[in-house]
Amino acid sequence: MTGSFLKRNPSVPIMLGALLLVTFLVSILSEAAGGGLSTSFVKTLGMTLCLALAALAMDLVWGYAGILSLGNIAFFALGGYMIGMWLMTARTENIVAESLAGSVIPPTPAEIRDAVGGQIFGVVGSSDFPPIWSLSSSLWAQLALVVLVPSLLALVFGWLAFRSRVTGVYLSILTQAMTLALALYLFQNDSGLRGNNGLSGLQNLPGQGDVPQAQVALWFLWGSAVALGLGYVLCAWVVSGKFGAILRGIRDNEARVRFLGYPVEGFKLAVFTLSAAITGIAGALYYPQAGIVNPAEMMPIASIYLAVWVAIGGRGRLYGAVIGAIVVSLVSSFFTSGQLPDLDLGPLRIVWVDWWLVFLGLSFVAVTLFAPRGLGGLVDLWTHRRRPSRHGADLGPDRGSFREEEAEA
Amino acid sequence: MTALAALWLALGPATAQTGSVQDLLQDQGDLIEQSSRRTIQPAIDAIVASGLERVQPVLQAWQNKALWRDAEGRFWRVIERDGAEILVDVDTGEETGPANTDAMEQIKPNSGIRALIGTALVQFQLTDPEPRRRREALVSITRDPEPELLAPLRASIETEEDADLRARKIRLERLLTMRFGTAEAERVSAIEALSTDTAVEVRAALNPLLATRLEVVPAGATPEGNVARALSPGGERLSMGAAYARLVEEGLAPARPDNSDIRAALEANREAGRVGGVPLGALGDPAVRARAYDALAARGTVPPRVEDGDVEAALGAHDFFGVYVEPSSAVTDAARAAITSIGLRVGAMKGVDIGLDALSLASIYFLAAIGLAVTFGVMGVINMAHGEFIMMGAYTAYLVQQIVPDRTLSLIAALPAAFVVTFAAGVAMERLVIRHLYHRPLETLLATFGISIALQQLAKIIFGTQARPLTAPDWLGGAWILNDVVGISYIRIAIFVLALMFLGFFLFLMKRTRLGLETRAVTQNPGMAGSVGIDPGRVNMLTFGLGSGIAGIAGVAIGLYAKVTSEMGADYIVQSFMTVVVGGVGNIWGTLAGAAMIGGLQKGIEVLNPSNTLAAQTYMIVAVIIFIQFRPRGIIALRGRAAGD
Repeated sequence: MTGSFLKRNPSVPIMLGALLLVTFLVSILSEAAGGGLSTSFVKTLGMTLCLALAALAMDLVWGYAGILSLGNIAFFALGGYMIGMWLMTARTENIVAESLAGSVIPPTPAEIRDAVGGQIFGVVGSSDFPPIWSLSSSLWAQLALVVLVPSLLALVFGWLAFRSRVTGVYLSILTQAMTLALALYLFQNDSGLRGNNGLSGLQNLPGQGDVPQAQVALWFLWGSAVALGLGYVLCAWVVSGKFGAILRGIRDNEARVRFLGYPVEGFKLAVFTLSAAITGIAGALYYPQAGIVNPAEMMPIASIYLAVWVAIGGRGRLYGAVIGAIVVSLVSSFFTSGQLPDLDLGPLRIVWVDWWLVFLGLSFVAVTLFAPRGLGGLVDLWTHRRRPSRHGADLGPDRGSFREEEAEA
Repeated sequence: MTALAALWLALGPATAQTGSVQDLLQDQGDLIEQSSRRTIQPAIDAIVASGLERVQPVLQAWQNKALWRDAEGRFWRVIERDGAEILVDVDTGEETGPANTDAMEQIKPNSGIRALIGTALVQFQLTDPEPRRRREALVSITRDPEPELLAPLRASIETEEDADLRARKIRLERLLTMRFGTAEAERVSAIEALSTDTAVEVRAALNPLLATRLEVVPAGATPEGNVARALSPGGERLSMGAAYARLVEEGLAPARPDNSDIRAALEANREAGRVGGVPLGALGDPAVRARAYDALAARGTVPPRVEDGDVEAALGAHDFFGVYVEPSSAVTDAARAAITSIGLRVGAMKGVDIGLDALSLASIYFLAAIGLAVTFGVMGVINMAHGEFIMMGAYTAYLVQQIVPDRTLSLIAALPAAFVVTFAAGVAMERLVIRHLYHRPLETLLATFGISIALQQLAKIIFGTQARPLTAPDWLGGAWILNDVVGISYIRIAIFVLALMFLGFFLFLMKRTRLGLETRAVTQNPGMAGSVGIDPGRVNMLTFGLGSGIAGIAGVAIGLYAKVTSEMGADYIVQSFMTVVVGGVGNIWGTLAGAAMIGGLQKGIEVLNPSNTLAAQTYMIVAVIIFIQFRPRGIIALRGRAAGD
């Protein structure tokens, strides 16, 4: 635990450098700069960086604190909803003001508000703004909510769960239940967030109608890269100090840390809430690029994807989460893009768009079985990192603790 | 109308008279041919009152536009057979030969007259020898009650022999008396007699008796009529807007121009870019807009604006009352009492019905979770692909149904087939994956989730995304209906029975068989079990296969009840895990209690907001999360060494 921050975290300058390089290259090659990279590819790249940020937050709770939270996708979607509320309101306000400006008598603010409400909530058979939208015309308020709402949910839920000492798989199932409950709630039309329609048209920035999407995509790529860079530094700082050491202690043997006198619940709550906040920010950057956010985003299958990325990348190391998310989601969008020719195996015809999920699922099993350290394990081979030889003994008596084959030096 | 009833009572249906229908029709011939709704009633009355036997078919023919008059003015029925028209004598009902309808005149009653004839015909149907016709008549009266049907209905009760029909006639008589009876006492006693009846039509008939209208009187006065209640504007039953609208309607207050009226008025009265002395561009401000409109109002071009204060003053100067449309207070009191008493009964029955619903939902959760109770509860393996085993079972049953056309046989064949398929899948999964991951629960969760994704997608590729039908045999098709409120479909009963059978099977297996003993031994202490000669690997494999096989059979049952899709397993997986966790891991009674609690909670919450099952599920999950705060180990927690830690 000595030496400068960068010396202790050699991955930070590498990661920041790579991020800078990729962003720079994409910027000069993008359509907006007259290059050949399509806007949709730039968008995919920007979204991938957001997913990497979410995976980073996932790694923080799972890889370092041992909490396999299946609720992070809910925080992700909530972040998207919060920014989406502002995007929809502000943009609809502009459109309505424009269309009413032509009328003989200029509209009153109340008339504009009513018309905006009718536009936004017409699909769920209502025209009034629900109370939760009361701050929606203020960008700063909604930006604050992007962080506050997921954090508050994580704080309340985490407090309930950790104080009753729900751990391990029980906690995972409980977080999964929380996600399902939230998704089912948002599916209702009277939840105030447009039911299963979700919030749409988010790719159009209010007041920036003249700016081509190619430019907007580039802006979001820069924003996502900055967020990922800052998030990486923050996470590296959190896990490299004493706080990080205690987190790893909790992961490996919670009871022992508790008996040493540390308030385990407080540490878990802090890291869970921090992770939720980061995930919320990631979601707020992701959904404007995706264009739509709806409750289907947080169905059970989605919530485990985050865990999949972290596991494939290698958990317990920050660059692993980033690599996992980027590799899996880029490969995933490559396979599902429909560009790959079908594979003809006699009676069986492999349509990649359909079969990709099957291979993803199976490769996931394979990674869990044969490469528990994920893609990050390759880095160990390269740096000649050795694992300690404990002759198969646990690092601690807890069942969920790391075993020899997955323990880090 | 009452004349008809009086005639009916005086003559009675049995007083057969001499004379011919033809003569009767000739007597009324002019009226019949005139075919006017206002003048036809005496003719119909006379025909019905004759009591002649052949009157009914003639009336029917008349109603169906099959009554004709020939050149000499005689009436004939004309029936059509194989495209030919045949004359039928109205008295004897004999066919007399082909009809030359060109030389005859058709009697064409309009729809009003046809309805009157229909009413008259109901009386015949009520005493028809065929019970089926009598039942039809009752249904038609229930659907379309008329005051004049009361007398013939009453008269027909005496002679009714069928007990069921008689009871229905009595109830219908009370319903009609309640609405159309002439004497107050008779109506009140009919209402009281119905106050224990929970049928839908009784409830539907009672409510209109309590219909009210809104009456306005100056403050301090009381309105005439049967007052139901005083209403205060802005209260629960009367909004400010509705109260003021009523005042406007009565001419007691000026109409209030709303925002769109004001806007339209301003738009209509603009002159040279200004309106009411205000430039148009400034009208975006509500206060300016009001000033402009007031200026117009001062000139008298538009009605003045009504401020909130004026509205309140106008409302304060008047009292509002709900007054029953029904003038008799005795009747409304009795109806209110009857509705309260029926409401209590219906409430109790709804409670029973919801209990049945909750029981059947709990059985479904139990069925979905019982396989997990083996793999997760006993062995401690988190199998996220459990839902996909349910799905595999359902698809197996679907395939069996494609091969075996007989529904009953295919169902019988599907149960073992589903077990075999999912047992094999479970064993394969245990050998290939789970065996390597014992005591690494989080990894197991992720690996099995990978399998779950793959299996789900495979099913999607093989069977497509649309739901596949899994049809239950006919004997499982209907529903067991107790009354209008309480009912349950047979398929739900079958699922309940299946759940009970599984409970018994599980208990027998765990407590009474060698495999159960070995499973419990391996679960508690694999090392010790191994050292006394049990092969833990084999036992784990069999137990896991068994849990998976049970999931397959559950899939058949769930597939019968819901649709078979590739995502059906995913719909149940979270609830299944919650069932096991809430109940208490490692105890089948706990799983049962968990299923009962989750099913009961969900249905209980649905009662509060019946239209919204999504919300019920949401709150159910939240309630479960909170419950786990208080009992983290579930309802039935294992103690001591069996708890495993």
